Amino acid sequence: MAPDAQLSKKPRLAAVVTSYKKYLHPQHVVDRLLDGYGWDGTYHRPQMEVASLYVDQRGDGDLFQERADRHPEMKICPTIEEALTLGSSKLAVDGVVVVAEHGVYPLSENGIMMRPHYEFFEKITNVYRSSGRAVPYFNDKELSWRWDWSKKMVDVSHELGFPFQSGSSLAVTWRIPSVEFPLGATVKEAVSVGYGGMTSYDFHGLETIQCMVERRKGGESGVEWIQTYTKEAFWNAYQNGVWSQALVQAALSRSSTLRPADPTFTNIFPTIEQMKAIVPDPVAYQYKHRDGLLSTMILMNGMVRDFTFAANIDGHSKPFSTQMYLPMPDGRTTLASFFSPLVNNAEQMFLTGKATYPIERNLLTSGLLIEGVESYKQGKRLETPNLAAVRYQPNPKSTFWRT
Amino acid sequence: MFTRRRFMGYSALGSSMLAYPPLVRSAFGQGAQSPVRLAVLGSTYSLGSDLQTIADRFLVGFPFEGEWYKPNVQVVSLYVDERIRRASAAPNEFQLAITGKTRLRAQPQTPPQKQPPPGPSGGRHAADERWEPMAPSSEDNGLSGDLSAARAQQFGFRLCRNIPEALRCGGDHIAVDAVLVIVEQCREFPYPLNDKAQVLLPRYDFFHQCVQVFETEKHSVPYFNHKQLSFGFNEAQEMLRTAERLNFPLMSGSSMPVTWRLPDVDVPFGAKVEEAVMVGVGGLDDMNFDALEAMQAMLERRKGGETGVKAVQMLQGDDVWTAMQEGRWSKDLLISALSRSDTPLGLTLLDGRNQELVSSGALPQLVKDPAAYCLEYVDGTKATLLMLNGAIRDYNIAARIAGGETVSTQFFMPVAPNQGYSACLAGKIDAMYQKRTAQTPVKRALLTSGVLEACLNSRHRLNQRIETAHLAIHYAAPVESQYQRI
Repeated sequence: MAPDAQLSKKPRLAAVVTSYKKYLHPQHVVDRLLDGYGWDGTYHRPQMEVASLYVDQRGDGDLFQERADRHPEMKICPTIEEALTLGSSKLAVDGVVVVAEHGVYPLSENGIMMRPHYEFFEKITNVYRSSGRAVPYFNDKELSWRWDWSKKMVDVSHELGFPFQSGSSLAVTWRIPSVEFPLGATVKEAVSVGYGGMTSYDFHGLETIQCMVERRKGGESGVEWIQTYTKEAFWNAYQNGVWSQALVQAALSRSSTLRPADPTFTNIFPTIEQMKAIVPDPVAYQYKHRDGLLSTMILMNGMVRDFTFAANIDGHSKPFSTQMYLPMPDGRTTLASFFSPLVNNAEQMFLTGKATYPIERNLLTSGLLIEGVESYKQGKRLETPNLAAVRYQPNPKSTFWRT
Repeated sequence: MFTRRRFMGYSALGSSMLAYPPLVRSAFGQGAQSPVRLAVLGSTYSLGSDLQTIADRFLVGFPFEGEWYKPNVQVVSLYVDERIRRASAAPNEFQLAITGKTRLRAQPQTPPQKQPPPGPSGGRHAADERWEPMAPSSEDNGLSGDLSAARAQQFGFRLCRNIPEALRCGGDHIAVDAVLVIVEQCREFPYPLNDKAQVLLPRYDFFHQCVQVFETEKHSVPYFNHKQLSFGFNEAQEMLRTAERLNFPLMSGSSMPVTWRLPDVDVPFGAKVEEAVMVGVGGLDDMNFDALEAMQAMLERRKGGETGVKAVQMLQGDDVWTAMQEGRWSKDLLISALSRSDTPLGLTLLDGRNQELVSSGALPQLVKDPAAYCLEYVDGTKATLLMLNGAIRDYNIAARIAGGETVSTQFFMPVAPNQGYSACLAGKIDAMYQKRTAQTPVKRALLTSGVLEACLNSRHRLNQRIETAHLAIHYAAPVESQYQRI
């Protein structure tokens, strides 16, 4: 099956989402396709049409009916199949947008919310199969909470040959400073420092690292093992230099939201003792790539409210570092504008029929999250043969927001 | 007579300073140059004030160019105007004595000292001190949230009662290598406003007092003044002339021109700029200087360099919407500037949606009291600052280059408490102290101070257009962009 190449007219999209309420991911993503957004110095209106919308969970605060009233071309559909076929017997859209973040689903035994990314995928690709046609597919955030399902999603996308793009906005948002990881550079160690907790914002921290280090010499080589540190083990590891304190300092020097440990100051660098007092639940996933790179994804909830990155790159006199800036509508802004580059990359895929970044990045980060949580549960380092097999080359072109 | 505390503050090797590693490092850096001795002069040292956020950066370092940067600067003295004004307004010891009222003993400073630095006095006053008539100093009373005494104690610098004392550190001669001046409105003891809505901040007075010391001693040091030079253009101009005459580096300005930009773009150097539209929020003498200065920092790069402003007009209320309909400024540029905003209000607050505020007609509904600062440059370039309180909360610009290209960006103003934009400014201030050269053109601050005053004059004259022959200010912008990029 070849992907649909007939994109001469405005592509029509089906949106399949969990819940459509204020400031939930589906609202951010689908709203941008419907109402447009600021892009490249003007108000951009996507040259595509959301033809249908499926909402898995409905309830108080739903916004989709208001959106459908203003955009009558968007049909609210009771099933995913109908959203894709628009009531006919065959696939009738040119692209699919899946946003399965948010909504309320049961937790897995490891405490990961069992969001229906895979279930949606299966229903969608069943329509692809029965129609003998597959169209570009955008998936927000991770692939699935289960490794075998995540892997299968990627395998099926290759089998049916459709462009499949997935991931977090962290990989594509503004960077402060606006720098790209040098293509082909040799890197020994990388860290990201972020906020939130395990099974939620850990994914963003993992994507923060991966969108950078995948550009290193040789591309991504796969991950051999992972070890999770929390509570006292985290602080011991920090103090013993299990990961580089200098890199954490470099990353924190890019933060715009470093909580002052001393309340009579507004911007002061904390000592480790002060960090302990303001970060009750620190998390680190440390993992070793097959080519020797050591990556550590750190969450210091309570101390920062942003995501920063630092790495030791050969030939650089000091750490390479930046902030992946999220204009977060938690009082700092009113628009989560980091969804704009995510949607813009999706638009490019729908228009060109080519994913702008490799789905294997997302397979690796989805797998790292699953294994990181498993390592926490087992309380030890885990070998990760599944992740060792995820090897890929990056898009040499930068895809983050800088215009 | 020195109290023990003052003596400890004066001594460059005060025990509290030894206890603070960054200062020790900067004072005894490996073979490094001796630190720049800095006098800090300001109006209020309360938490969140400009003085506190910026001066602290020279005490505890700041995030800069990918590291926690410790400038090679040692704060040696501090003068805080609000303390002295408050103390002078209160009845003095004699007045209290003759009315039979005794002054309350000094309350502990707020916030309380957590960890007094180790030392002979253990951070407390020595026992013999309490019998001195002037101790504890009367300025320590009455201001809630004043951090200056706590800082002086923690970092071992001298808290001074007047500006000459701060420059001389209590001695007979200038004992500082640089001056940091941050005069802002005080919450508890505010400066008055004039009938043009200007806050009468004594920036010129601070400057004048410093210059008197410089002249007396025939020795001048680099001087940084935060934000506008003065509310009056004549005084601002005199400040520049004086700095030239006495040959000391003078730098003045706000953080907005030097902060990060989203995206990282500038007007190409030497490009012909036809028009610029900037959008922001603020009051009549609050943030409008910063916005005008940020706009100026981009426009000064245009072809021919800066040649000045020939007329200004400030519009308010419905006149702004009428002018917009009549095409007084480019609607496309306004849309472009607003496309950079992350903070549209109205329906976005209601349900998170994206909005194009201009074509939708939402602006007049959202902005109750709009203001437009319309600038006509001598070379024909046109610029407009729109203050849109109620529609957005951030600062964005769009400029049209001859040939049709538009440059647009957001001036990134990271939120409190960190206020990372002032770290960008601190980097510039430090560079001026180390290199003894102003890092941004001080004539930018002069022109912007003059433009703001002229706009407020326009408002005062019922929004008349005002010709500004006095603002034909020429200067060349640095070829390299001066905002934070690395």
